[in-house]
Amino acid sequence: MKTPSARNVPALLQALHQEGFTGTVRVSGAPGGTIHLRDGRVGAIETPGAPTATSTLLASGRIDDDAWLAACAAEPDADRLGHHLEAAGLIGAAELEVVCTAAVYDGAFAMALSPPGDWELTDREPTLLARPGVDPRPLAEETTRRIALLSRLRGPAGDLARGRPAPVVDRAHPASGGGLTPRHRELVDSANGRRTPRDLAFARGRGLYAVMLDLIRLEALGAVRWETMTVPEGRPSTAPRLPPQTATSADEPSQRAGPLPRRRPGGGFPTGDFGAKDGE
Amino acid sequence: MGERMTALQDSLDRLLDSPGVTGVALIDAVTGLTYATAGDAAQVGTGTEVSDLAALISERLGEAGAVGELESVVMTSRRRHQVLLSVPRSAGDPLLLAAGLDRDRANMALALRSLGDRAREVLA
Repeated sequence: MKTPSARNVPALLQALHQEGFTGTVRVSGAPGGTIHLRDGRVGAIETPGAPTATSTLLASGRIDDDAWLAACAAEPDADRLGHHLEAAGLIGAAELEVVCTAAVYDGAFAMALSPPGDWELTDREPTLLARPGVDPRPLAEETTRRIALLSRLRGPAGDLARGRPAPVVDRAHPASGGGLTPRHRELVDSANGRRTPRDLAFARGRGLYAVMLDLIRLEALGAVRWETMTVPEGRPSTAPRLPPQTATSADEPSQRAGPLPRRRPGGGFPTGDFGAKDGE
Repeated sequence: MGERMTALQDSLDRLLDSPGVTGVALIDAVTGLTYATAGDAAQVGTGTEVSDLAALISERLGEAGAVGELESVVMTSRRRHQVLLSVPRSAGDPLLLAAGLDRDRANMALALRSLGDRAREVLA
């Protein structure tokens, strides 16, 4: 099983999808992350930039800690943990599918907010999985859509993610006090001027992208103040790029055997994470 | 989301048994991500359109003094109904069940009641 030379992570995932690869892609960088594939589909993404399905279930209180620990003890192989959670009546199969799928898309979004480093392929590592998993192409397309939407609504998504929203205490402004949904009210209560959207996502057990969208709405309503920080390097494009030909041949270097990422002359990063640098 | 039948897909497929229902989709009300569809997905609109519409209505209702989360939206055209129903969840961001109905075959009152009841079972 060989992997065609990939120019960026979306192209790599697409090639691995065609191979039906089961294993792990480790992407370095800030935040970087670990992408778990099963039969070529993305089953989970673990990144410091966004809560995993496990974090979401526990932080939101959907499954309590004791029940979770008991389930993990009863089913040591995390790949099969979902079945055990369902069998134990802790969560329905459809709801678990929603939670795990949402976490995959959110993890991809978080990883795409800053330029990636190197990547390497390793063996399967057990984890709680979305089943049957997400195909790489719609994953890359949705990631691109999300970043484009945030940029259109509020500015560069990477800069936005580094901001620290604070609640607006303005009695004269009706939206800053009442008129908010419970979800928005909880988010305003959690924002304290020190937490980033990522911090709020982990604290509330919600997706990073969902939190950022809600913060944009809350800012428009005058309920939060959200000053963003600009960094010179910006963010990479998330437009999926595929190698010229997807068929493998014996002459092509194996992605696992040789130096994995391609570097640009004079550049420090391989091109793209869930896309490529410089809008390519 | 994939070729293999999942619990969620099976759950949505069962909603097509309701009289007049031609298409359904389960959509994240915040992100617009479509988790699954059944029947004619084009009848219910894209996930982003549905979530944007629900968010807009919810905000306007909030500005008008309404309290709580949006429960349902019904839009009617000459041939079709489009229904958005909030899917109850004990935790996590709200979900929307979007359904397209054929006006000639659907009794709106019965369809709303049936979809409302079954929306509670979508995540089982």
